[in-house]
Amino acid sequence: MFSQITVYARYALLLLLLVPVTVGVIGVVFPALGYFPALGEHSFSFRIFVELLNVQHIGQMIWLSLFSGVGSTILASFITFLLLAHCYQSSLLNKIQALLSPMLVLPHAAAAIALLFVLSPSGLVARFIGTITDSAMPSTTVGLFPYDEWGLSVLLVLVIKEVPFILLMALSVMAQPNNKQKLEGYQRAGTALGYSAPSTFFKLILPSIYTQIKLPILAVLVFATSNVEIPLLIGLNNPSTLSVAILHWFNHVDLSMRLLGSAASILQGVVCVLAIVVFFTVERMISWWGRRQLSTGRRNFFNRTVALLGTCTFGIYAFLIAGVVYTVVSYSFAEHWVFPRLFPEALTLLHWKTAFSAIGQPLLNTLLLGLATSVSSVVLVLLTLESEVLVPATRKAAALFSFSLFLPLLVPGVAFLYGLVWFQQLLSVHSLGFHTYIAHMVYVLPYVYLSLAVSYQRFDNRYVMVAQSLGKSPFQVFWYVKLPALLNSVLVAWALGLAISFSQYLPTMLASGGAIPTVTTEAVASVSGSSVRLTAVYAVIQAVMPLLGFVIAWTLPKLITLNRERRRTHNRKSKRISSHMSRKERLEKKVVHHGR
Amino acid sequence: MRRGLLTWFSWAFICLTVNAEVLSTPSPSQNNVSNVDTTVSPTVRFHAWGGSAQVNGYIRWLAKQLAQKHNIALQHVKLADTSDAVARVLAEKAAGNSSEGSVDLIWINGENFATMKKHGLLAPNWVDELPSFSLTSPHENPAMTTDFGEPTLGMEAPWGKASMVFYIRQTHFQQAALAPPTNLEEILAFTQQSPGRFTYPTPSDYLGISFLKYALLKLNPQHRDLFYQPVTEQALSKTLPSLWAFLDALHPNMWRQGKMMVRQASELQRLMGSGELSMAFSFTAAEIPSAVERFDLPTDIRTYAMKDGSLANVHFIGLTFNSPNKQAAKDVVNFMLSPQAQAEKQKLTVWGDDTVLDMRRLSEAQKRMFDEPLSHPSALDKSVAVPLLGEPHASWTDALRDAWYSRFGARY
Repeated sequence: MFSQITVYARYALLLLLLVPVTVGVIGVVFPALGYFPALGEHSFSFRIFVELLNVQHIGQMIWLSLFSGVGSTILASFITFLLLAHCYQSSLLNKIQALLSPMLVLPHAAAAIALLFVLSPSGLVARFIGTITDSAMPSTTVGLFPYDEWGLSVLLVLVIKEVPFILLMALSVMAQPNNKQKLEGYQRAGTALGYSAPSTFFKLILPSIYTQIKLPILAVLVFATSNVEIPLLIGLNNPSTLSVAILHWFNHVDLSMRLLGSAASILQGVVCVLAIVVFFTVERMISWWGRRQLSTGRRNFFNRTVALLGTCTFGIYAFLIAGVVYTVVSYSFAEHWVFPRLFPEALTLLHWKTAFSAIGQPLLNTLLLGLATSVSSVVLVLLTLESEVLVPATRKAAALFSFSLFLPLLVPGVAFLYGLVWFQQLLSVHSLGFHTYIAHMVYVLPYVYLSLAVSYQRFDNRYVMVAQSLGKSPFQVFWYVKLPALLNSVLVAWALGLAISFSQYLPTMLASGGAIPTVTTEAVASVSGSSVRLTAVYAVIQAVMPLLGFVIAWTLPKLITLNRERRRTHNRKSKRISSHMSRKERLEKKVVHHGR
Repeated sequence: MRRGLLTWFSWAFICLTVNAEVLSTPSPSQNNVSNVDTTVSPTVRFHAWGGSAQVNGYIRWLAKQLAQKHNIALQHVKLADTSDAVARVLAEKAAGNSSEGSVDLIWINGENFATMKKHGLLAPNWVDELPSFSLTSPHENPAMTTDFGEPTLGMEAPWGKASMVFYIRQTHFQQAALAPPTNLEEILAFTQQSPGRFTYPTPSDYLGISFLKYALLKLNPQHRDLFYQPVTEQALSKTLPSLWAFLDALHPNMWRQGKMMVRQASELQRLMGSGELSMAFSFTAAEIPSAVERFDLPTDIRTYAMKDGSLANVHFIGLTFNSPNKQAAKDVVNFMLSPQAQAEKQKLTVWGDDTVLDMRRLSEAQKRMFDEPLSHPSALDKSVAVPLLGEPHASWTDALRDAWYSRFGARY
């Protein structure tokens, strides 16, 4: 019975991932091939692709997407490993996790804007310099940040945004009970053989956790290669990355540009595949080099460099995040704040009032959508994972499954969302809430799956065997043994799902036709507006909302354990008390008896 | 064969639709309405750019008034880009949805209107039905029925008027001991004396293309008549060379050496606020003092119109062809054109958008609603008369933009 349900869940999940993306892609392939009846285009041909390849700077746009995507992912992975090597097994690790959380929860657009507040020519750093040099106007010299022509500033912001995510993934892998034990063993063995801490990390620990965080890293890679918000806000527009050009073509007043946009969406898919190929090549080269390092017997591995770079990264992050938090919060309360002042002239609640006067309904919509999608995703994913254990799929089915899982992450959103909306419109023009829910699920499901799958598959099967040998049903094993043990990971996955749902702009906007405003759609509308201060208010709200999810995910398990322990001790006490009572009662009864 | 297959598919979709309709849950927006009012009140979805706190605030005021007086729920769908809504209506048309559209009213003019008109996305001939529309004196005032040279054919009703104004950071000019430019040549001279302090948005933006039109009109006074007719190759080859010469001189001394240009007018105001720019321009003079009041611009901002003329146009409200609530939507537009709503909109503290009503048609009491009590140091001095430059014919917009992009490269 339970196994059957889990199999249904697997099919439901498969359909939820496959159908919207496939339909969406069809809705893009047709126009890309020149078929778009609404614009009077009825014939199929490759002329749009020819036109696309003749677009000025198209090569450079592809290069910028590749460079910023692949470059940022490699650099971010490297930095994450460096940080881990530097502080793995030291108390710094928890501090880093707390320090990076603002960057983790800030949606991409908000993060880009916040970094502009700090690093732009009129930002906080420039204000420091301006105060020292006593200049009343921001400098007009053209520097590297933002809008440089090589895509370096886009790369930088992507790195800053990716490191916390990869770190979170790595830490959640390392924190799983059986992994933890194994890794501690490696660590001890390494230390006992005289290997330095960084050396142990790079030679023993990293190889064993890397395979487990490879999937999330690939997701990051595809995301970075096709991301729109960051190059839109930080990148040059002459030319831009391919993704920004796609958005531009889809939003163009000349509606026939959508054909070009559709063709470019397919090209974007190809670029993402190319990015993966490049990434794998680099990975192969590094692992080839790394394997040779393994057997050299050298006990030290760039010890000083790792320590230095680790400390530097830590310092840079601390500075950037302090700057981001300071400027965003200050702007959200600021009255006038002229360059090069370091503090606002006065503080006001005006911007918060403006935001709150309009935020009630969007907030409610955001929470409803977020809860509906994250909870249903977690349930679906858990059941699916269980079905993989209970009713293993054939190899082909498993391959199809992992492919469909990656489909929404591999096909850039801009590529299939327009097609999906077209299909949803055909289906029903009324159920906007449902359409939006589906559009969110497409993005939430893969991340929840990725976040949960690893810890689920690594679950120590001996517990299951013990439970089974005691005669427990599959459901009982799932409910009483696995779930409590995996509570941590389940909650983190749920919080991640919540955060992903909160941050969706394009899916919400397109699927609901704007009729379901969320905090993020309001925030992006404010970004296109002229008020820095209102944008700052929305950035704070956007950062705090997903943070709440993570706070719940981090504290709830502790509370539950605490509660359980208290109950256990309480039970023990009450048992003792009851046994006392009974003896007393017996005595009393005797007395009463005697008295009679 | 191909067609046959597609028809089959669409039939399959329609069959699915029947089931989906039965299963579909009511959307949240419908729920709200029934929560707010006990009687059934129609919801009118107004798709309008949502990037300005003032405009958003004014639309909230409209919604409140409409709910009280007309029992209509007005829902402002905030757009980051108006073309999103245009695209949506087009997608609905493509999907064969001709009576259940998700967009009722849309705030447009110029190009977006031309696109919607071309693809038949707007309901025609409804504006004359509105009692308030006669207050704009449409027969004496062709600007009320022409949108960038394109006849509106009753597809959209005028909502407000705008003309181009410039604004500067006074302290920047004082420090550099420069006088604010008062015509096109002086703008160029200013960028040479103080490089990196001026820019204009890319021509995809409404304000960007407007700056180009202003320059084009001023650089070609001898060809004035050409601009008010549909554009021709000849007209372009006569007028563009002077514009290119001007821009070639301007670009290297613009913000970020002209390599990066902002995409939207609002970014221009942001850069003025941060101090990176010393001079910018806008189509809504009133948004500037109100931005100062809201602390988005510093107090040393001063607004003025160029002495050599100021580009002027009207913006409109369109009704989509597939709106399910046409009558309620018309009631909304009629209220938007009422003296009360227009006077509220013109208040500097609210939005400050100029009314489209003809003052001569109003009663004394109605006229008094338009009196503005205070003047703001950053506000435009309306007592100074400035020559108004009419918008060139709508076909110029495309031609000029395309020419600009093919000369200066696509900016995304």
